[in-house]
Amino acid sequence: MRSTAPRSTLRKIIKKHKPQLRLAANADLLVHLNFLLFLHRLAEEARTNAFENKSKIIKPEHTISAAKVILKKSRG
Amino acid sequence: MADRRSRSRLRRSGHHNARAAAAQTELSVENRRKSLRSTLAKQRLAVFPDLRNGTPRLMLKRVVQNQPQVSPLAPQISSHEDTQEVHSEVPSKRVSSMGELQLPDVAPEGKSITVFHTTKKRRKLSISEFERAAERRLPQNQAPSTLDSTITARSFRMSVGSLLAPDTVEKRGLLRRPKTRKAVDLQVFEGKVEQNMLNSKGQNYLVDSQSISGIRTSILTSDAEMMMNTTELFVQPQLDEQNQNKFSALEPQQSDSKTTAQRSLISDGDQEEERLEGLVSDVRTNEGRTQRDSKSSSLHDEHVDRMTHISPETRAKQQEEKQDQSPQSNPMAQISFSEEEVAGTPEHGPSAGYSEHLEKKLAEKAELQITTAQDSRGETEMASSAAEELAEGSVGAHGSPGAEHKITNGIGAEGLDRNSHAFSSFDKRGMILLDETDEQGDELQDQAIMLDLNSSVEEPAQDEAEQPASGEASMKTPLFVRAPAKNLLLSMPHVEKVAAPRSPQQLLQPKTVPKRLGPPQRKPREPQIPGSLIKEIFRHFAKMPVTKEAFKIVEKCSERYFKQLSSDLEAYTHHAGRKTVEAADLEVLMRRQGLVTDKMPLNVLIERYLPLEYRKLLIPIAVPVSEGWRWILNLLFSVLLGSQCDTSCFSPS
Repeated sequence: MRSTAPRSTLRKIIKKHKPQLRLAANADLLVHLNFLLFLHRLAEEARTNAFENKSKIIKPEHTISAAKVILKKSRG
Repeated sequence: MADRRSRSRLRRSGHHNARAAAAQTELSVENRRKSLRSTLAKQRLAVFPDLRNGTPRLMLKRVVQNQPQVSPLAPQISSHEDTQEVHSEVPSKRVSSMGELQLPDVAPEGKSITVFHTTKKRRKLSISEFERAAERRLPQNQAPSTLDSTITARSFRMSVGSLLAPDTVEKRGLLRRPKTRKAVDLQVFEGKVEQNMLNSKGQNYLVDSQSISGIRTSILTSDAEMMMNTTELFVQPQLDEQNQNKFSALEPQQSDSKTTAQRSLISDGDQEEERLEGLVSDVRTNEGRTQRDSKSSSLHDEHVDRMTHISPETRAKQQEEKQDQSPQSNPMAQISFSEEEVAGTPEHGPSAGYSEHLEKKLAEKAELQITTAQDSRGETEMASSAAEELAEGSVGAHGSPGAEHKITNGIGAEGLDRNSHAFSSFDKRGMILLDETDEQGDELQDQAIMLDLNSSVEEPAQDEAEQPASGEASMKTPLFVRAPAKNLLLSMPHVEKVAAPRSPQQLLQPKTVPKRLGPPQRKPREPQIPGSLIKEIFRHFAKMPVTKEAFKIVEKCSERYFKQLSSDLEAYTHHAGRKTVEAADLEVLMRRQGLVTDKMPLNVLIERYLPLEYRKLLIPIAVPVSEGWRWILNLLFSVLLGSQCDTSCFSPS
């Protein structure tokens, strides 16, 4: 895995969506952690979908169905 | 977890304590004294029967017992509970802890009390309990009743406060600021401004028609002053009321002759009409805007597209500007502004719009002067009527510049033409006014009437259209505008300011316009998580080849995820009454997502997924796990014994 997380990019993204919101000092690391876990769950779900389709490659349709589920789960 | 373990150990060992204590007291005579003193304590102590003196607990007990007696009136329940914890932990680390137990001899003094006050209640070590215990201690030294009240009050306050704070913060945070002010305020303000004008100049800028003559004269005399003084685009005198009254008075005076003259003028200015129409549409679009500067810039932007061909458009632009600026835009202010522009003083602003206006104004002025020389009266009349019509028909922007011109001696001709043209563009409304304005005979009267009419017309127009529009209509009354122009100029800024906050959102729109124009090439480099990083992470987690299209979907997914995330975080932060996202908010989010559970605390996730440097940042002290237990034990002992030891000795080596 990469050795560094894109901290400034994360801050910019959040600032773009919510300009009035501020981030604490190390909060963006937790955001990065959250993002990693999200991708992890997404990858697992897509992998499961691909297995169910007896495919050895993750295809877009697997990803789409996985995304629907995981995005809903990640709503908080 | 440690708490749970210790607690369970305590419960399990409680029985052992009782049995062991009983056995000990029975057996040893030496311990009789101790037992008498510390039967309760022994019951608490977790003593393994087969390891009587070897367990750290027993050693501690001995240490404690050897300490001088302390008054039982000062129990240290917290330390007592800590001792329990320590005792539970001690058996597992006998060797290591034994030395530490013996280290601080002074500390146990206080702890001996706890031995006496072995609370039979084996409660879970909790903060509330500690607080209660602490407070129970205090009453013994102080007034007992206060504690209970403070506790309850504190809890109450917290509960209530937490209930209230989040709502209000949430409401404040999620609600937008009120966008518009009520029109009533402006009217009230206008009235007050009028009064100010009256007071300041001592002139009868009365609302009723009787003051028309006075105003007319004042207007005429102050034209020059107006030209010099008016520096703002948009100082609109509050002559709406006056104009209305005058307009009503003047309506019956209008004659058909004027209409014919106006029609002729109208025919001449077909171009102007088109422009005016375009301006009207622009004005209508700009109606919401109240800020002058933004308006000028926005107008500029809009007008650039439409009115690039004709210099006279400046007039229309001025009109539009005025319309946009404030509902109470004074025609006088506009005129003065136009005059200023004509003077060639691009003071009004760096925006190109201003320069355009200036150019147009100059052109207008030239035209007006020419026309005035030719047909002053007729044209002025026409212009006035046209201005009035304009005031009626359009938002008033078109007419007002014309009205302004009229006010400026001789300028009105062209403006009138424009106004008439503008009126023609607003057929429905304009025609009515045309008829009405035909009657005017006197130049001054006409102008004054026009002003009144414009203002009066503008007022109903205002009511119909938006307030800003009506304000612009009032701008058309040149005469009245002129006279109180000075005062109005002073007062207009207030009007502007009042108008400005009414629609902050609308203001925002014009503000962004100049930004767009500023940098010619606009490169909106949106911040994005680098795709390569996403791909790497996803591939690592998926452990399977991923197609490019699937990866694109993942990218889109992550964008949407970030949007969700930011709104969620904002909600949580607002709920907590903060404006900065803290780690606690992130934890709440992860908990709600189901990533963090009681079985899976946040720190474990941190340790699992993040590299060491970040771990160190997030967790106050991130120690390699092998050293963790020793470190924890050291920490506990230091707390228990209240040691003055330098905690640096416990830091991870």
